[in-house]
Amino acid sequence: MKKVMMGTEAATMAVKLARVQVVSAYPITPQTVIVESLADIIGRGELKAKYLPVESEHTAMSSCMGASMAGARVFTATSSQGLAYMHEMLHFTAGERVPVVMVNCNRAMAPPWNLYCDHTDSLSQRDTGWIQYYCADAQDVLDAILIAYAVAEQAFLPVMINLDAFYLTHTSEPLDVPDQATVDLFLPPYQAPLKLDVDDPKTFSIVCGADLFSSIKYKRQGDTLAVARLWDQVAEKYNSYFNRLHKTVEAYRTEDADLCIVSIGTATGTVRLAVDRLREEGLKVGSLRLAMIRPFPREGLQRGIAKAKHVIVIDRDVSFGAEGIVAQEVKACLFDHGGDVKVTGFVAGVGGNDITVDTIIPLVRQAISGDGDAVEAGMSLWAEVLP
Amino acid sequence: MQTKIIIQSLSELPTAPTTIGTMAWNQTGDWRYVTPLVADKMAPCGQNCPAGIPIPRHLSAVNRGDIEGGLALLLAHNPLPGLTGRLCYHPCQTKCVRKKIDRTISIQRMERFLGDLTTDVTMVKSDKTGHRVTVIGSGPLGLSCAFYLGCRGYRVVVLDPSKQAGGALVGLSPEKIEPQVVSHDIDRLIRLADIRLETGAVIDFAKLGERSANADLVILDPTGLSEDLCTPAGAVLCNPFDAETVSGSIVSVQLPQNLSPFKAQMIAHYIAAGRLLAQKVSKALHHTEREAFSPDLPLQAVDIENIKIVRFQAPGPPTEAATGQDGTWDRECAMQEAKRCLSCGTCNLCLQCVSYCPDASIRPDGEKGTVAVDLDHCKGCGICAFECPRGVITMEDMSV
Repeated sequence: MKKVMMGTEAATMAVKLARVQVVSAYPITPQTVIVESLADIIGRGELKAKYLPVESEHTAMSSCMGASMAGARVFTATSSQGLAYMHEMLHFTAGERVPVVMVNCNRAMAPPWNLYCDHTDSLSQRDTGWIQYYCADAQDVLDAILIAYAVAEQAFLPVMINLDAFYLTHTSEPLDVPDQATVDLFLPPYQAPLKLDVDDPKTFSIVCGADLFSSIKYKRQGDTLAVARLWDQVAEKYNSYFNRLHKTVEAYRTEDADLCIVSIGTATGTVRLAVDRLREEGLKVGSLRLAMIRPFPREGLQRGIAKAKHVIVIDRDVSFGAEGIVAQEVKACLFDHGGDVKVTGFVAGVGGNDITVDTIIPLVRQAISGDGDAVEAGMSLWAEVLP
Repeated sequence: MQTKIIIQSLSELPTAPTTIGTMAWNQTGDWRYVTPLVADKMAPCGQNCPAGIPIPRHLSAVNRGDIEGGLALLLAHNPLPGLTGRLCYHPCQTKCVRKKIDRTISIQRMERFLGDLTTDVTMVKSDKTGHRVTVIGSGPLGLSCAFYLGCRGYRVVVLDPSKQAGGALVGLSPEKIEPQVVSHDIDRLIRLADIRLETGAVIDFAKLGERSANADLVILDPTGLSEDLCTPAGAVLCNPFDAETVSGSIVSVQLPQNLSPFKAQMIAHYIAAGRLLAQKVSKALHHTEREAFSPDLPLQAVDIENIKIVRFQAPGPPTEAATGQDGTWDRECAMQEAKRCLSCGTCNLCLQCVSYCPDASIRPDGEKGTVAVDLDHCKGCGICAFECPRGVITMEDMSV
């Protein structure tokens, strides 16, 4: 059914379609719409779930972990500071291998206080072991959440679905809402292999010495790396039901591209318009959207930039003292790729600065010519900085 | 303890860092040095009740909507609730803890509401013993004593020379107590305890010794007979409130000064006297305590410090229903009023302890209407006792 929805509403709709059983969340702008509307539909009985109002994000994630261990399909949502407050429990949920699905609305980390889009919040949680997916549009939000449950419950790993603050959370777009019966076929109820059970007590999150520690972490690393392929397989299955493909890497006009622009989140749509414009000028440019950052889609990236000699990465985030986080990831992936690829990293569009076609094109020109307004800081070039 | 499993390859590792087998062998109860004791305690209202009624119990049943169950619980401690609900000076209400929040629970109106119910209830009774007791006089004391003896399995006959049962109650003005309330309460009492009542009985008080040939014991009720008839020749005096046991075959009940002559507002004291006398009689005739029917009372008084008033400060249900002095209560009114009861010292399965126990070691025991501690796994952290808002759970040192 066609509907017009904001990204947050699409997320709520997906949670409802997934027949989530426990929601535990603490409100924070710009995620608030999600938890309010979930409380609403649960209160009205449209979704048979337990809604746990909690005093903090740390508790939200703890109770999601407990509920998941008890065998429930669970959901939570947060943003920036809230995600940071969850940090300890992010490690725990991933380590305990519980298939929690969370929406994070990418918002700048304070200070200075800022409610707008910035990816530093989630990217700085990249080493917690969560699967990280960055949505491009409202349809992607709805579909990715459903795919995320299927993936999480096969891999026994938690998945974070990221939505750009306001560009996605609060922008209304037309989208297609799948019918419940088909969603039920795609996503059957969660069957936990092991449950918290008072009558069959087990110790969860065991104490473990050096004898097994490396093996447990090694096994998790293998399982996490495998998610890049697993996601694509589940996405194909989703495609067979709903005719929409949401893979870990999305290439646009890269077949013959010498220059490839890598981006995550909503900026990609704009990047593609810029690619079209630059193509008209005769530049062989392509766009590569990394939908997944953890596990890092090595194969997809290497395939996508097969012909490119120059990669531009636009980061809406920064790792202070290094450079843009996505640029770091791309460089690490290309290091043993063979071939001689130049990588130019930009930090742009943070804290509410719009990324438009007119801002992308000058960045590309600067990457090629070396001249432009973006200023150097270490290995990155920063746009939107005072002279 | 189960066999130790040695994990020798990656494929044997479980996905989650979790024990493979059960941990039931790990009886963490060993770590405990103080133990949660779940025991109902007497609420302040019940402590002040002359008949010692554990009031929150029947309120709790009414709150659950089990109104007949509430009546049965009340009758087990007070077989004349219609009368006490009108005549008693209800000292229970002066101690009601709820008044620290808004106003006292209308315990007396609840008693009246339950007493006036016409639906029948069943009482738990002992098997018939074969012992026979004759009670002469059908005042509140005699009826109460007859009721408890009847419930304990005695064959009880109540004889009254008057045409009308009730003894001293009969003479009260209709403004004080409507005659139909007296007969309603007495009829139910007789029916439930399986007693035979003879009014207008011809009794030769000079030959009671002969009558006692037909009964193991004859009891003379001072609230049912005129003073001159109460102490015939051969009778042994007995004060139900003292520690003396019953002796002889004719018992003349002697009441303390504050209860003699009969005072209607002291009705609960006479009911208590009847119950105490029944206990003495039972002991004298059987030489054992009879267990099957014993209105089990909480032994200890609740520690008022353990009633966590602040946790009840949230606005309760509307109280208007109970405030009007006129008009009768319907079931809804009664349930609303019962909901206000803090249930001091009395487990009402609020399950606060169950929610907060970090080890799932305290769980509801539906049959007993309370909670039970899994002592194999309870570590004695005391959270349940802290969370119990009504002083039912206390942490005890069981090593002494």
